[in-house]
Amino acid sequence: MRVVIADDEVLLRDGLDRLLTEAGFDVVGKAGTPQELRREVELARPDVAIIDIKMPPTHTDEGLVAAEEIRASHPDVGVLVLSHYLESHYAMRLLEQHPGGAGYLLKERVSGVGVLADALARVHEGECVVDPTIVSRLLRRARPASPLGQLTEREREVLALMAEGRSNKGICERLFLGPKTVEGHVRNIFAKLGVGESADDHRRVLAVLSYLRSTPQQA
Amino acid sequence: MTRVLRFAVLVAGLGLGVFSMAVARGGAGYSFGGSSAFAGAAELVAGYALLAVGFTAWMRPRQARLGAILVAASFAWFLLEWSNPAAGSVVFTTGLVLYAAAPPLVAHAMLAYPDGRVGWWLGRLGLALGYAGSVLVLGLLAAAVFDPASEGCAQCPRNLLLVVGGGSAYGSVSRVGVYLGLSWSLLVILVAAGGLARSTPARRRQAAPVVVAGCAYLGLVAADFARSLHRGFLGDDGLDRQLWLGEAAALCVLSLAVVWAWVRARRTRSALARLVIELAESPPPGGLRDVLAGVLRDPSLVLAYPLAGGRLADARCGAVELTGEITPIVRGGQQVALLSHRPGLFAEPALAEEVAATARLALDNERLQAEARSQLEDLRASRGRIVQSGDAARRRLVRDLHDGAQQRLVTLSLALRLARTRLGRDLDPALAERIDQAEAELRAALADLRELAQGIFPVILAEEGLSAAVEALAEAVPVPLEITTLPDERLGSSVEVAAYFVVSEAVRRGAASTLKVSAARRNGRLVVEVEGDSAPREITDLEDRVGALDGCVAIVNGPDGRAKLRAEIPCES
Repeated sequence: MRVVIADDEVLLRDGLDRLLTEAGFDVVGKAGTPQELRREVELARPDVAIIDIKMPPTHTDEGLVAAEEIRASHPDVGVLVLSHYLESHYAMRLLEQHPGGAGYLLKERVSGVGVLADALARVHEGECVVDPTIVSRLLRRARPASPLGQLTEREREVLALMAEGRSNKGICERLFLGPKTVEGHVRNIFAKLGVGESADDHRRVLAVLSYLRSTPQQA
Repeated sequence: MTRVLRFAVLVAGLGLGVFSMAVARGGAGYSFGGSSAFAGAAELVAGYALLAVGFTAWMRPRQARLGAILVAASFAWFLLEWSNPAAGSVVFTTGLVLYAAAPPLVAHAMLAYPDGRVGWWLGRLGLALGYAGSVLVLGLLAAAVFDPASEGCAQCPRNLLLVVGGGSAYGSVSRVGVYLGLSWSLLVILVAAGGLARSTPARRRQAAPVVVAGCAYLGLVAADFARSLHRGFLGDDGLDRQLWLGEAAALCVLSLAVVWAWVRARRTRSALARLVIELAESPPPGGLRDVLAGVLRDPSLVLAYPLAGGRLADARCGAVELTGEITPIVRGGQQVALLSHRPGLFAEPALAEEVAATARLALDNERLQAEARSQLEDLRASRGRIVQSGDAARRRLVRDLHDGAQQRLVTLSLALRLARTRLGRDLDPALAERIDQAEAELRAALADLRELAQGIFPVILAEEGLSAAVEALAEAVPVPLEITTLPDERLGSSVEVAAYFVVSEAVRRGAASTLKVSAARRNGRLVVEVEGDSAPREITDLEDRVGALDGCVAIVNGPDGRAKLRAEIPCES
């Protein structure tokens, strides 16, 4: 898989380059600024661009903006944003614009080749990826009595995997379950939460994340 | 001089008029006022008018000097008649010396109006020439060489001051006096006009009537000097008499002008009396302007207080701009207030001082209030700056943590991972376990660091705004937050930080029940409410934080036993 890495920290960029290369990825370009990133994407036409959220000049959300631009201008290039921020707000910002082919991972994931490789592969396939830490934080968040409490343990697992952006097939693989079983769980979950089921995987991620992010009004 | 003496002078002046009229009548052919009843009346009216006005001014502490000059001028006006050949020799000799003394005295009074002082050196020069020309040259010197017999005045009494007679001495001295008279009278007219042009509008309005009348008088005097140039002495032919009648009229007008200024001052003084009554009612802050505007009958009046730093403010500390005519109110050499008003309101300079004296307490009160308010505003601004600089420092700190320590830890974990892959598959299991442990430690350190940074200052608040920050807060805190409304738009950063501070502190201190959070803009204020089973007990720091933005915090206890922490923060759109 052809990958471009955008991070203004040279050490990290080079380390990631070596790690990915050793893991069998083809690093075709590296960038330190949003402008360089756009050029690299234009020239190298990678499958996925790995982008640090903090980029020059202000080091706030330039990476996120660049990712959104790339998704709009090059729909065939996936984007994986690396961020320090646990808040689901930033992930939602990325996914709301272009739910497919985009991922949001915490920066420390760079050392876990397995997670990184899995995320890259899923983004390349057009799925969306949300960091499991963010999802589990959303699931754990304090909330008034809500339908979430009625979910079984298994259903919560399925819900978390949906929120991470996995398709039914991916959930089957993760949980070693048959497709029919997973479909049944998904139906149950949506029925219990009172959320309309969506055929589209991307819409499903957004619906689930929005549900988890919202605070249901108390009756 | 004592009052008795002044009254004696008044009586003397009255007697002088009667006596001079008698002298004039005795030698009607040589007199001005004795020629007809009309001329006599004119002479008496003009002289007595000067005397009365002069005496009145003399009795006023502020105008005593002016009054004395005017009284002297009235005496001199009558003395013109004494150089009458039909008079006795003492009277005649006195008349010879002083017959031309009135013009310089009137000129002096005009230039010295209203406070009795002649400020301009050119004016003093003109007057010195006037006195020298009229009293010394035309008076004393001429008298010393005037021999009635040799000058063809057979019926004249003896000149008591005669030193040498005969020859052309008298003619030459008199001619010099006439030339001198024309020069100084024209010079004084120019000085008076120039002085009027140079003075302030208020002063000009006050002095103009007197100066115009005085210049008219001096103009007639100058005309008489001018037509006397060829004959070499001041005569008493038909034209001379007509000019003299004009002078009498001008002196009457001049006296009326002085009286008119008094009437005007009296009117303003009665306004001051009303001011005293109005102020006894103690006007509310800012009410002094309205009182002054009413009493002085000037709706356009603006009252401003100079504050530290050169700022002008009204009693409520609002910025004030003064336009038009401005009169400072000075006390103890210090400007306590400035008044802008319609032109001519303070034509009498003393009025401003009297207003200042009358309204002293009210002025001080309002000025101190304006000062206190201004200081309060400065204090609030500085409190706001302190809070802002604290926030800025915390944001910098968080940024440094993110860009420094956090970035390095991530790079370090990456290096560790690389090292581990380099070591290959057949790694000593014990070593592999130690590396795994180190990686786990690193992850924990990163998590700690993130939490620490979040606690110092939530980056999301600065970058994404209040709503995103409150929603992110709901993901992180152990208390369920029920968010009802949040503003859609970004607000000023200090407003956002204060509002977030209120919510996050309320959440931190609140009971473990569900908290209802809302933030909405209402009438230019951001109203933040956190409702729960109980309210935080200590909210001083919240009050400080919100108070720095001129907002307020309160705890409202609802009837259902729930308590609401409510903060209102002004936010401009």
